[in-house]
Amino acid sequence: MCFTTNFWNLFIGGLANGFIYALIALGYTLVYGVLRLINFAHSEVFMSGAFGGLFVLQNVIGSKQPSGLASVGLVVLGLAAGAVSGAAVAFLLERVAYRPLRRRNAPRLAFLISAIGASYFLYNLAGKEFGRQPISIPNAFTNGTVFTVFGAPVQTYYVIVAVVTLVLLVLIDRVVALTRLGRGIRAVAQDADTASLMGVNIDRVISQTFVIGGLLGGAAGFLYAIPTGVAYTMGFTPGIKAFTAAVLGGIGNIRGAMIGGLVLGVAENLPVSCIQTSWRDVVAFGILVLVLMFRPTGILGEKLGRAA
Amino acid sequence: MLTKRTIPIRATAVLGVVSIAVLGLSACGSSKKASSGSSPTTSSSGTGPTYTIAYEGPLSGGDAQLGLNMKYAVELAVNQANSGTSQFGKLPFTLKFTAADDQGSGTISPSVATSLVDNSGVVAVVGPAFSGATKAAEPTFSAANLATVTPSATNPALATEGWGNFFRVVADDNAQGPADADYMADTLHLTSVYVVNDASAYAVGLAGAFTPEARAKGMKVTSQQVPGTTQCSEGTGSVTEYPAAASVVKTSGAQAVFYAGYYCGFADFAKALRSAGFTGQLFSDDGSLDPHYVSGAGTSVAAGTLISCPCQDLTTNPAAASFVSQFKTLAGFAIGTYSGEAYDATNTIISVMKSIAAASGASSITRAAVVAGLKTVTYTGLTKTIKFESNGDIAGTAEYVYKVEPSGTITEVGPA
Repeated sequence: MCFTTNFWNLFIGGLANGFIYALIALGYTLVYGVLRLINFAHSEVFMSGAFGGLFVLQNVIGSKQPSGLASVGLVVLGLAAGAVSGAAVAFLLERVAYRPLRRRNAPRLAFLISAIGASYFLYNLAGKEFGRQPISIPNAFTNGTVFTVFGAPVQTYYVIVAVVTLVLLVLIDRVVALTRLGRGIRAVAQDADTASLMGVNIDRVISQTFVIGGLLGGAAGFLYAIPTGVAYTMGFTPGIKAFTAAVLGGIGNIRGAMIGGLVLGVAENLPVSCIQTSWRDVVAFGILVLVLMFRPTGILGEKLGRAA
Repeated sequence: MLTKRTIPIRATAVLGVVSIAVLGLSACGSSKKASSGSSPTTSSSGTGPTYTIAYEGPLSGGDAQLGLNMKYAVELAVNQANSGTSQFGKLPFTLKFTAADDQGSGTISPSVATSLVDNSGVVAVVGPAFSGATKAAEPTFSAANLATVTPSATNPALATEGWGNFFRVVADDNAQGPADADYMADTLHLTSVYVVNDASAYAVGLAGAFTPEARAKGMKVTSQQVPGTTQCSEGTGSVTEYPAAASVVKTSGAQAVFYAGYYCGFADFAKALRSAGFTGQLFSDDGSLDPHYVSGAGTSVAAGTLISCPCQDLTTNPAAASFVSQFKTLAGFAIGTYSGEAYDATNTIISVMKSIAAASGASSITRAAVVAGLKTVTYTGLTKTIKFESNGDIAGTAEYVYKVEPSGTITEVGPA
């Protein structure tokens, strides 16, 4: 049976992809929650995070091969650098590409075009500045098998992805549910006009939402780039996949984005042992279509305010 | 000697412009006006009649470097032959060299071909360099029975058109796959291989040519199509597919992976394979023959990878040392891809001309005689022994295998 031979290998790999999709998907879903806008330039926020982590690690590591606590420190440093770069780009993006349109009450399609324009601008700028060839991230840790699940090896990299993502997901879930900032986000998501009347500074909340999405997306960019390197075009497919995950889980729904990411990551990986890899995306998007036919609002439904 | 400048010809050039160019070329090449056959002229300096060997390829535009790699090699071979100190000794005729710029384009090459055909001094052409340009120009050359020996146009279909004047000194794309399969079975003694192609037209064709030969050699072949990624600008796939595909390859128990595709995707896939615990042989094609493969995959992953190419590395060949240094003196840059092949193509033509002159006199060298001579020639060049099959393809596969050394450098290990 082709399906069972590699099941656990593919399941674990899919889960790791899914965690990264979930981190990116949160950026889409949070922004959709407050702005009713799909931020198509979010894939470039992701790419910026990867470059941020790369440059910091290149300077810190040099040609050394770190291990032990130094490795942990370097991964955290790379993540922080990625998150800060992502947040900075997301913040600027909101200021330059969206806020001027919002001030003028531009129609929703104008935002979409602005997003696509910003995306093209950012990735071409990165290609021009940083080169068109993928650049490898220096090894912050030695990748090896940590433990096995039903004979399938779980590598250090997968453990790092899982731990980092779970920490960030719980953190963001709690921030939105419990803090003043989170209350602001939920209020704007539920009804922006009323929130504004109640004294919520909408501009500020939107800006903060972009920054949170950027932090997560940037960190995801760094995680994603560890095995494959950083390239100016790297944001495109993960961006599309994460957007899909957000829709699958219920756009605007934070926990939905997490579940959507994991479901998509695993679902697209499992059939690979039975089909040509080139059909992988067909299966993944086929699942999306099926889910949306029966649950048009996604697995967990749409509302940001209610779900969180 | 003066290097003649080809008057630029646009694809849309009107007849008048073409005839000016023709006049310009024939005035340089011969004292007579254009006529249908080749007519030798007695040169004031040098010995015997003067004949022209032309080169056609891109000398401007984005692919100019590839064309220049070949142009200077042809020019060097002609200069050496005239000096009387080459392998051919003192020749009973004098050679001229002319270069024609087709920009590698099939829309420009027919008018370039017309101008070369109308230059009665031209007895053979090295080129055209690119497959598309060759396809468009060859009917013109063929009608004039003017021999063309291409150092680099590898599209398999070119040899199937029935052009009697068409020759090439490199193996075509279809030869590479079977040669790779033979090398794996006969030299590496592998019994199972996992074939991965990146869904590009080139890779699908290569994998398709590889598989039947590998099966015929008794190897167990499994295959996967893993599309090139947007990250590498090679397709629509994403890098997240590589770990999944790699674990499938690992579980299959194959001894080797044959990757048909280009260096960027191959680097990512190689990393995923090693990370999935695959320890077998990695093998790829000339699309991966690039130092960026090693830098992308990392030296520890890339080390030991074998890569095949119809091109030979002459920089490490002691027999080619004087060619390598003289080329640099003439061109001002080091030899590049297909320089050696262009040099061999030119010398093959000169050797044919020499035997015609020896058999029936220097004045009996005609276009038709050169074509006939090329059909039967056996000439040992720097890159390989050149002998043509009846369709103009080089006899034998003439593939070379390169290896990534533990230091990360890529060196040639020998013919496939």
